Amino acid sequence: MATTTSQQVLLCPAELAYLHSSLSLTPPIRPDGRTPTHFRPLVAETDILPGTNGSARICFADGTEAIVGVKAEVEKTRGVEEGVEESEVREDEKEGRSEWVELTVEIPGVRDDDGGTAFLSAMLGEALLSDGGFVKRLWINRRWHWKLYLDILLISPPLSYPLPLLSLTTHLALLATRLPRLKSEGVEDPFFDDDWAAAPYLYPRDKKSGKALARPPVTLLVMAVGRNIIFDPAKEELAVADVALAVSVGEAAETGDNDMGGKGRKLRLLSVRTIDPPSRVTPPGVPNATNAAYGAAGTTQKQPEARMAEAEAVEGVWRAPRGGAKPLVMAALVQKTLERGGVADEVLDALEGVDLG
Amino acid sequence: MADRRRINGPAGATIPPIFDDGVDKKTASQKPTRSRPANAVRHTFLKTGVTPSASGSAYLEVEVPGKPGVSGLKLSCTVHGPRSLPRSSPFAPHIILTTHVKFAPFATKQRRGYLRDPTERDLGSHLETALRGAIIADRWPKSGVDIIVSIIEGDQDRETSKEQGDESWDMMNALSGCITVASAALADAGIDCVDTVAGGVAALVREEANNGVAKIVIDPVPSEHVKIEAACCVAYLPTRDEITNLWFKGDMPDDNMNTYMELVQQGIQASKFANRVLVQSISETVG
Repeated sequence: MATTTSQQVLLCPAELAYLHSSLSLTPPIRPDGRTPTHFRPLVAETDILPGTNGSARICFADGTEAIVGVKAEVEKTRGVEEGVEESEVREDEKEGRSEWVELTVEIPGVRDDDGGTAFLSAMLGEALLSDGGFVKRLWINRRWHWKLYLDILLISPPLSYPLPLLSLTTHLALLATRLPRLKSEGVEDPFFDDDWAAAPYLYPRDKKSGKALARPPVTLLVMAVGRNIIFDPAKEELAVADVALAVSVGEAAETGDNDMGGKGRKLRLLSVRTIDPPSRVTPPGVPNATNAAYGAAGTTQKQPEARMAEAEAVEGVWRAPRGGAKPLVMAALVQKTLERGGVADEVLDALEGVDLG
Repeated sequence: MADRRRINGPAGATIPPIFDDGVDKKTASQKPTRSRPANAVRHTFLKTGVTPSASGSAYLEVEVPGKPGVSGLKLSCTVHGPRSLPRSSPFAPHIILTTHVKFAPFATKQRRGYLRDPTERDLGSHLETALRGAIIADRWPKSGVDIIVSIIEGDQDRETSKEQGDESWDMMNALSGCITVASAALADAGIDCVDTVAGGVAALVREEANNGVAKIVIDPVPSEHVKIEAACCVAYLPTRDEITNLWFKGDMPDDNMNTYMELVQQGIQASKFANRVLVQSISETVG
């Protein structure tokens, strides 16, 4: 874990204290001048890999870049008795299994059996699978299904915690994914149309506007510093976080009457995970009062940091946070993400604007 | 990564045969149901200091219903350290925490290999997050501690078929057990913590008997419920009223925020129960 989140935050205690206090102001001052809910600007494109069923690339302004390729294979469903002739299949009879999706994350310079990578891929997979409607889309008939391989590649070095980047890229790639059109009917072995132009999207689109009717989930990173809630933290900001959460949200189905008046869509919570903030492993600062170099008497020991551990906190001197976060703070982070017209909403809107093939 | 150092069995899974004991008996025992009230946890046994060679250790066992073929969670945890880091490693102002969660190969219906698979690594990351908040890490610069949890037996019911029991929900129970047992082992090793952290699970379940209305139960056993809609695992520090690790997943209905808050609150409640067992077991050792 520590390797991915905290890869060498090269900040001294004084810098950490400065960052922490400027992020705790109201309104917070972020090192890159963004507002607390402002996302990093990004460049996105889809359908970049002709050999895949769907692909996307996103490049964040800080130089991190990811590619996602989605490949689908037809697979026989296990545990279904053969030879049972059946009538119409009702819509609610369709069901998916979590093993129909395989998700791998590759981060350069990190071993593929690293805990942090396993954590990332579990988190991205969990969001997809929690949304029960997703695996249902892979159902072909009672005996066959699509097996979907999602390969997520970070192609730049991990300059910041790559979670939001990977999640957004996966979202776009899934939106652009097309599966060949099924020609066969009923339970017979599937037979597909070889015309790629006729292939329907995995997430169906509106015929006129070309907008997707449903959308895959997105996972956002949100952290709290003091009383402030900050979205999409950069590496330096994450280094002083009191608590960081990864929140996955999906779009709730519209319930016909759209008379809620307010703008924005209805969001559903799919998963929440606590991210181990790298702030816990940062070095503590030494106040002048106990620092021999500044004329503190009687402190000639070699390591003033060791003594600091037990002393009272001094304003403006960095100390790594101890303990956890209050339940109310955690709830506020989730609430703020889910809000109508909030950040998740804004991100989904922005992704809608990406030209999909 | 394939395990090349051992001779492993064939890749295809084999499941022990389950014999049909006759129709009437089967229907009676087909679906285990929850007999506890929604706000009660299963009884837990916790003992510290079971492994003499480790600096701290603990063993945790969760109550099993009297039914044959059903096993409860059994966990053993050892803590090695704090010990000095090797000379080659860079300076660290804090204790370096390494967590290692492993299912025994025979712990679940599906046999596990000797190498940790992604779900086990994921559990390890969760455990690390939960414990890092509790340990006072800056008292041991330049040192490391290894926390090894082995899951000897998982929460399993042989009667339920593999399709029915979705393993992903079992992971939450396993994690909450891991957190509690690791916290006991840390206390046994004498590593300073701000508080004893304990894990608790709460779930939103849909019952047939209840007209398909969802309700919240704590300490759920996945095989006892028709469908688990959502679940959350909380690592909680009771005296500070703080959460060190929160893991929620599931599909929430529309009025999600209130249900979510209630779920977390019940998770905290479950963790308080676990904490009581934890404190009692530690004070037995001390006293």
